[in-house]
Amino acid sequence: MRIRAIALLTFSGFLRNKLMILFLALFAIVVLLMMTPLMVMRSQSGAPGLPHTESMAPGMIGGIMSLLSGFGSLLAAWAAADAVWSDIRSGTILAVLARPIERREFLLGKFLGVQLLMGCYVAMMLALSYLLAAIGGGHIHPAPWLLIVYPLVRYALYSGLAMLLATVLHPVISFAIMLVIMVLESIVVPGHPVWFLPDWLRSALFAVLPSPNLLSETRFLTLTEASLKQTSALDHLTALAYGLDWAVVFFLLAALLFHRRSVLRD
Amino acid sequence: MPPAIEFRHVTKYYHSRFSNDGVTALADVSFEVAAGEVCAFLGPNGAGKTTCINALMGFLFADSGDVSVLGYPPGDVRAKSRIGFVPENFAFHPFLTAPKLLRFHAALAGMDTAIAGRRIPELIAKVQLCGYEELRIGKYSRGMVQRLGIAQALLNDPQLLVLDEPTSGLDPAGRRDVREILLALQSLGKTVFLSSHNLRELEQFAGQVIIIDRGKLVREGPLAELLGRGGRVAIHVDQLPEEMEGFLSEHGAAIERGPQGIRILADPALKREAVERLWAAGCDVTAMYPVKSSLEDLFLKVVSDAEKPQ
Repeated sequence: MRIRAIALLTFSGFLRNKLMILFLALFAIVVLLMMTPLMVMRSQSGAPGLPHTESMAPGMIGGIMSLLSGFGSLLAAWAAADAVWSDIRSGTILAVLARPIERREFLLGKFLGVQLLMGCYVAMMLALSYLLAAIGGGHIHPAPWLLIVYPLVRYALYSGLAMLLATVLHPVISFAIMLVIMVLESIVVPGHPVWFLPDWLRSALFAVLPSPNLLSETRFLTLTEASLKQTSALDHLTALAYGLDWAVVFFLLAALLFHRRSVLRD
Repeated sequence: MPPAIEFRHVTKYYHSRFSNDGVTALADVSFEVAAGEVCAFLGPNGAGKTTCINALMGFLFADSGDVSVLGYPPGDVRAKSRIGFVPENFAFHPFLTAPKLLRFHAALAGMDTAIAGRRIPELIAKVQLCGYEELRIGKYSRGMVQRLGIAQALLNDPQLLVLDEPTSGLDPAGRRDVREILLALQSLGKTVFLSSHNLRELEQFAGQVIIIDRGKLVREGPLAELLGRGGRVAIHVDQLPEEMEGFLSEHGAAIERGPQGIRILADPALKREAVERLWAAGCDVTAMYPVKSSLEDLFLKVVSDAEKPQ
């Protein structure tokens, strides 16, 4: 009951956060602009000299969804980094922690509040992917749970890491570190040599950093029925367990560090 | 019965992040507050009062020493379930309304929904916020926020009430309401630990006084005893020769000159000798009466004594 109350209040706070509303509005505009060529193609489909929508749509849809997915990771990191810090900054944490609630319960409530936000974001992404598929004439994945579970796990992982960093660092610094991590993990993928990183370091980073590729739902967006069959349930389970494992470890570390820190504005 | 609050040799040092400098916020502070007592916790700005309260509530941790609240360490949920707390500069989620905020706190306190549903309107009425139930807290005045803070502190019918400057921002009517609430709690045997600069109000209901200055405990004890110890005698005279003025000043007497004559405030132990010398010096002693010192006098004296070089 206590954790649920904190999670719901955290979620309500996000929905009223002016910075978040502004950012989401700007992002919606960008997505709409990106959708314009798709809609133009759709309206001119069949005209002589123009390629068929079906042949170009998957690439465009993939691009938009990748952008949305990446933005979701940033949103998860920022929301988690700011969730506890904003309460410390405003002083609202004092009245809350004066109640019979453990610090780890408070942190869990905050973490779940972030996951609620990301759940809404994923639902929005799913709706958009259906809309894009309808506009572009493509096919959406026949198992939509993949489009829900994969991003949710990935966002849980990113928000856990951001929350861990924010228990010891300022949220802006935590967010900056998250950005660096996200960039690093996207460039240390095997088979894509990076000139400024020696191989041993790239391999080590790939082993240590949470891999977005393994947990990326975008690889499923353009899958055909045939390629879907190649992905076994065990593969899904392994990938999701891997992501959840990271998320739980990050959260537990955050709870450990938060247990003994001052909750006052320094 | 164990004390409601116990500090034993508590030291807290604030380190600077970028240098070796730091500030000692609390230096070997020890005191006890008995259960059922109303304790005024006093000190000038920066004395370490809020640090003490934060250590008591488990918001920060002392570098050394022990703190115990209702028999438990700070932050223990068993203690927190019996504590009501109003922090200094109270902050709430501005997008909530008063009933929603109180429902949130009732959920955190683990209160039954039906009980909370009955208690919340009562508390809103008690702190005079009726009619503002639909207004968001962000639109409240400072005094209204303070009243709401007191309402949330009373929500779980606490055994111990910790209040950091509860009347700051309140108008005289609000201060009177808070005073009445505290008096009612006192009659119910609740323990109140109260930090405030409003000494005249505290004097009306505080049973125990703890004064700290620059992180050190400088005075502690029952209010009546401390005020009794600081009592003085006022002697009114028509004139005061220079040699008498020197004698009185040497013995710590204060001399006030006004349109009605000269008033000497002296230690009761000096009373007899001072009057005899004044008569002998040809002064007419027109009145003499005991003056009970106020909490404000006591506070100012204790703080100024603490500031004197050792």
